[in-house]
Amino acid sequence: MSDDLPNTDLSESLEDYLETIFELVRDHKVARIRDIAAARDVRSASVIPAMRRLAEMGLITYEKREFIDLTPEGDMTARRIYARHRTLTRFFRDVLGIPNDIAQKDACSLEHSLSDEGMDHIVRFLEFISSCPEGGSVLARFRNCALVNGESRTCSGGCSVSASERMQSIAKTVSLRDLKPGQSGTVIRIDGTGPVRQRILDMGLIPGVHVILERVSPAGDPIWIKYQGSQLSLRRKEAQRVLLERSPSP
Amino acid sequence: MNEITPVRVALCGSPNSGKTSIFNALTGSSQHVGNYPGVTVEKKTGLYHHEGIAFEVRDLPGSYSLSSFSPEEAIAQKELVDDRPDVAVVVVDSTALKRSLVLLAQIMQNCSRIVLCLNMSDEAKASGQRIDLPLLESLLGFPVVETVGHKGLGVPLLREKIASVQHSTVDRRRLTLGERLETAIGRIVAALEKTAIDRAGLEWTATKLLQNDSLFVERVRALGADGEAAIACAQEVRREIEQFTGEDIGFFITRRYYGFVDGLLKEVLISPPHIDTRVLSDRIDAVVVHRLLGIPIFLAVMYGIFWLTFTVGAIPMDWIDQFFGFLSRAISDAWPADTALEARSLIVDGIIAGVGGVLVFLPNIVLLFLGLAVLQDSGYMSRAAFLTDRLMHRFGLHGRSFIPMVTGFGCTIPGIMATRTMENERDRLTTMMVLPLMSCGARLPIWLLLIPAFFPGDFHATMLFAIYFIGIALAFGLSLLLRRTLLRGEEAPFVMELPPYRMPTARSVVNRMAMSSWLYVKKAGTIILAISILMWALTTYPRHEESTPVADAAADRHSQSFRDLEHSIAGRIGRFIEPVIAPMGFDWKIGVAIIGAFTAKEVFVSQLGVIYSLGEQDQNSETLRDMLRRDYSPMIGFSLMLFLLIATPCMATLAITRRESGHWKWAALQFGGLTAIAWLLSTAVYQIGSLFFG
Repeated sequence: MSDDLPNTDLSESLEDYLETIFELVRDHKVARIRDIAAARDVRSASVIPAMRRLAEMGLITYEKREFIDLTPEGDMTARRIYARHRTLTRFFRDVLGIPNDIAQKDACSLEHSLSDEGMDHIVRFLEFISSCPEGGSVLARFRNCALVNGESRTCSGGCSVSASERMQSIAKTVSLRDLKPGQSGTVIRIDGTGPVRQRILDMGLIPGVHVILERVSPAGDPIWIKYQGSQLSLRRKEAQRVLLERSPSP
Repeated sequence: MNEITPVRVALCGSPNSGKTSIFNALTGSSQHVGNYPGVTVEKKTGLYHHEGIAFEVRDLPGSYSLSSFSPEEAIAQKELVDDRPDVAVVVVDSTALKRSLVLLAQIMQNCSRIVLCLNMSDEAKASGQRIDLPLLESLLGFPVVETVGHKGLGVPLLREKIASVQHSTVDRRRLTLGERLETAIGRIVAALEKTAIDRAGLEWTATKLLQNDSLFVERVRALGADGEAAIACAQEVRREIEQFTGEDIGFFITRRYYGFVDGLLKEVLISPPHIDTRVLSDRIDAVVVHRLLGIPIFLAVMYGIFWLTFTVGAIPMDWIDQFFGFLSRAISDAWPADTALEARSLIVDGIIAGVGGVLVFLPNIVLLFLGLAVLQDSGYMSRAAFLTDRLMHRFGLHGRSFIPMVTGFGCTIPGIMATRTMENERDRLTTMMVLPLMSCGARLPIWLLLIPAFFPGDFHATMLFAIYFIGIALAFGLSLLLRRTLLRGEEAPFVMELPPYRMPTARSVVNRMAMSSWLYVKKAGTIILAISILMWALTTYPRHEESTPVADAAADRHSQSFRDLEHSIAGRIGRFIEPVIAPMGFDWKIGVAIIGAFTAKEVFVSQLGVIYSLGEQDQNSETLRDMLRRDYSPMIGFSLMLFLLIATPCMATLAITRRESGHWKWAALQFGGLTAIAWLLSTAVYQIGSLFFG
């Protein structure tokens, strides 16, 4: 993915400056030398050469005593750096469960040195965690696992998932049309392609959403569901596309 | 007032976000809403002034996302992409932020000057939801305003914010769609920048190319070799993503939108909604759409509306009737004898009889629209669709056909317009073709005239219900036929939101009622006045030479007047078509009125009014109904009602059908088909009925 990005060979400090400008422009609409100096905790005089350098590279517009702004190219580069920063923060904080301030600090130092390849793999992993229907529960298991928390040497949960248990989890997969009033489940995926699927997605029925079948029309079709504060009516034919992991009946 | 071109503001939002109430509150009394017959419906525009600057607000059709799936969504997208408003106001339902904000993300790819309007904020607050507004504003990069549309709360601030962004030149939008998608879009944008395409909304075009949206692919292809290169680039990127993620691109992109929204909400929600505000609504639903009670309640509600329209409406109707009777007698009495008799006849027999005959039904129209407005505003309509979809589906219609069809009870034209919410062209055409069978408000005066004329009092409401029911049954039968013959094919999905019940505000209900009533009155004052005068002339001239009514003996006067009438142009036209309508039991007088009804259905009533008022020269106050009862049997009355229900949709309906279907052949089929069916049915009823009742 790095092949088409402008390779500007920025030094670590220039990258940091660019990121600072990006944040300042975002939050305060303008960036001034002294704001940058304050944010990076350096003297204004040492900021100026860096600005000249960035301006030469065409990443910012900088004239004496003027506000500093990002050029489109600078904006893109800054966003890229910023995205790396956010990705790493997310990885440390949301996946590994490191406290926010430490996650931020680690992200700051790693964002410059991590290879594109390594970065790409972290992105892939995050992508996997958020797209895989199991992703959320894997993370939850990781966090709750007694082994990881160092509380115990033996696992108290179902670490060794047996074949029969796996079968059970498959058996728990039902389509929305098979639910009975009062039953519920969590969306795993939406089958099929095209406009129908897109419409279902547009209505907010996406993987991870908990759905309750509220009632069925007196005529037997359509059905009436509740999810995330919304209520929706859809035909059984459409409901068939929505696959759920059935929740235990109350 | 400012003379320069107003700032163009586009109001976008999903259905049920309260967009229209924001529109009304923004534009206040200065709006010129054209959401009714003959006026352009898709462009609802209003004007307001803020600190000397004029703002023109355009209410875009409600859509859940920007796409080209349904005509409404396509219109919304087209307005944003092609017409490029100066400011886009995105109205979202605060109680369903997650879903609503996806549209915002899409609009952020399109427009640079945006104001986000968190509507129904009172309901959201009641549910315990708290939002860090300043944080949200800084995360998004544009102003956010909380509003309560129907109360007008927050609207002054909204105006201020619209004014503040309209001259901002710096783009501070911050949409984060994840590195993978952003890079992908960036690559396509770079390819697009090499083409001659408009620079605005590039990101959106790139996203649509990535999704392989045919509309945008065609557009970019039209740009020549550079365009082809951009399309190829998009294909390449799409393939990469699909291979890598194992998801199809539509899913992938939608997830990224939700990802953005989730991230945003995680940051700005100080407290998520935790109090169920739908408790009452859910309790009502437990009864209203109950497995056993649902259908009876539905029927009762529909019957209630007809009862309200007919029985309650009859009271003020009498007053108006008496008023016009008094008026015409007063004018006749006060008129100087033997001077300008022609003018007296024009006023009394032409204008008062024609226009008065239509205005008499104003109370009924008002009540019918009151009923429909309450159903619509309260949220019952979508429940009704839920209850009836199975039935509709069985007859080749769609749950979404329900709302257009109920609207059709008010007027066919907005009903046909409302079919735009349907995604499937065949479903839409079917609904459009059978919609004229929904007995519209303009036909109500006909029923109100004919039913009491031919049927005893106890049966009035039942007969009215029966006529509507026959229309519905025919519509079902016909749509089934259409879906099996001309419009065969795949049906569209039924996915419909069920908003909580809301108390209809007096303001909105009265607004709608006043709007439709005013248009009815206006029609009476313009088209119907003109037709009444024309009809009067057609029924008066040429005069029968030997007829000098003053000289005639009193006993002869009645038949003499009718001979005059027969001799007139209208009489001759009626005579000419009599052979065609005779099998249905109609005579030339009815024939003349039927022709008039083609211009507007209610004209039928004024036509008869004019004909009979001219025919009856004596001042004896025999009402039109009595005269009809005297001249025709109930069998003819019923046959006539059937014919008027089914045949010849009015001119405006044909015009709108042509426009919405995009082709004259559909309008022609609608006209020819319905008229043929009407003729066959009425003839059958009259001929078979005559065998039994003589």
